Amino acid sequence: MIRLPATLVLAAVMLLGLVVGSPAHAARPDEPEGDDTGLHLLREAAIAGRTRGYSGTQYVTTWGRSGSGAVSSVLEVRNVPGAGLTVHTQPSGLVQRVDPGTPAGGMSTPSETMLEVLARNYRVMAAGGGRVCGRPARLVHVVRADGTVAARYWLDEAGGPVLRRELLDGHGRVVHAGAFVDLTLDPARKAAAPVSAAGGLDLGETPGLLARGWRFPAALPGRLELFAAHDASPGYLYLGYSDGLSVVSVFVQPGVLDEERLRGWHARQRNGHTIWIRDSAEQETIWASGGHVYTVFADAPADMVDAAVAALPHEPVPAPDLWTRLGRGADRLLSWVNPFG
Amino acid sequence: MSHLGERVSALVDGELNHHERDRALSHLTFCAACRAEVDAMRALKNRLRSLDGPAMPADLTMSLLRMSEPGGPLPPRERPFPISSASRTFGGAPIPSMHSVAPPDNRPRGRAGGGPRRTRRAGYVAVGVASAAVAIGTLFVAGGSGPSPRVVPPVDMFANQHRNTAPYGGSATPTFSPTP
Repeated sequence: MIRLPATLVLAAVMLLGLVVGSPAHAARPDEPEGDDTGLHLLREAAIAGRTRGYSGTQYVTTWGRSGSGAVSSVLEVRNVPGAGLTVHTQPSGLVQRVDPGTPAGGMSTPSETMLEVLARNYRVMAAGGGRVCGRPARLVHVVRADGTVAARYWLDEAGGPVLRRELLDGHGRVVHAGAFVDLTLDPARKAAAPVSAAGGLDLGETPGLLARGWRFPAALPGRLELFAAHDASPGYLYLGYSDGLSVVSVFVQPGVLDEERLRGWHARQRNGHTIWIRDSAEQETIWASGGHVYTVFADAPADMVDAAVAALPHEPVPAPDLWTRLGRGADRLLSWVNPFG
Repeated sequence: MSHLGERVSALVDGELNHHERDRALSHLTFCAACRAEVDAMRALKNRLRSLDGPAMPADLTMSLLRMSEPGGPLPPRERPFPISSASRTFGGAPIPSMHSVAPPDNRPRGRAGGGPRRTRRAGYVAVGVASAAVAIGTLFVAGGSGPSPRVVPPVDMFANQHRNTAPYGGSATPTFSPTP
């Protein structure tokens, strides 16, 4: 029997321990989201979109419900860290200071909460590289559970913002595209490690809204989740839904829709109900239901918008009964004679 | 002894004392005229006893009944002259029965709850109904025909709010401003 030197045995044990304890099977530090290999890339681009100074020209195109009509605009953008993003829209000439996380800002800087929602509803996968406006870019795919691509992002490899963003419907058709045609990045400044915006829900008023009689769903088809709800003057309810990728805004007003005063809108029959639509970048929809008027704006694929609209109330307008009319008359008489009214 | 005269009736009624009755009976043994008069008197009295007693006047009966139940419902009035009343006669003439004639209402007017009080109550009801009708009509007209206000969505304002709201941006006030 051969006796091995003690030092050799100790070296072998240490080598074995290194091999067994190696983190090679775990996620790399820059990929903490597991399968969502592109999520950290989106986070970095979102941070850059808020903290890097840049200027450039974007074009934005949205295809309507029919797929034939499209609405396009050209944006002159300028971002100054600490001052915000300024957008000069052509051909309207409108100049606005906007939040880059909003639809007006191209939704290019999602908050950390929105990224969590995105990762919960989709797989966010790195999909190689490419070039946009002459700049090298990393491509990220946002994939639905059925394997179809819901969105594509081209992210600046030099630490800049999102260079191009596309939304696709369930049939693989591009329904929205926004891209830089030229971009100039300001020199990066040495600063503390930037962090992404935390974000969060805006549902603090929900108990009060429910107490005041408002009823609304917490989610809509297409994994759209309620992120904001509040009523505002002059007497309407605002509801915001998002799946982490798209956004649908619902406005509810008490009253009966005055259809005669709807100019430029087209009536359509959907599942036995009449809705009014207008092809625009926001896919606007109006309809009346049970003494309320609903207005929907969406930056989302048309099939998702149609499913959301179908899930919202579509009740017949109630006929005025005798007691309702008498009660309204009493209210009016009291308001007429009330000197403090 | 002379004829019995006025003592005939007393004899028939048994109102003579013992001595006078003996003397009257002794006279009848030989006076045929007085015997005939006593027989006629007895026949008349027997006929009168066979008749019913006189009925109570109907007016008096009804007046007593009404006075016993002030304000209560009146007994049914049977009119006019039911056939059964024809069987009651006095000397061949019909006698009205208790329910054969509608009695006059002799109750005091203030307590009877009759005409003026009912009329006044009906007046109150009529005034109340008319007032309610006017009030309901006023409310109905003031209520208008529309169930709710007719609205047209402020599309530009809504679109501006939609475009300038960051999803999951937190509870910060949206940065949108009305479209100029």
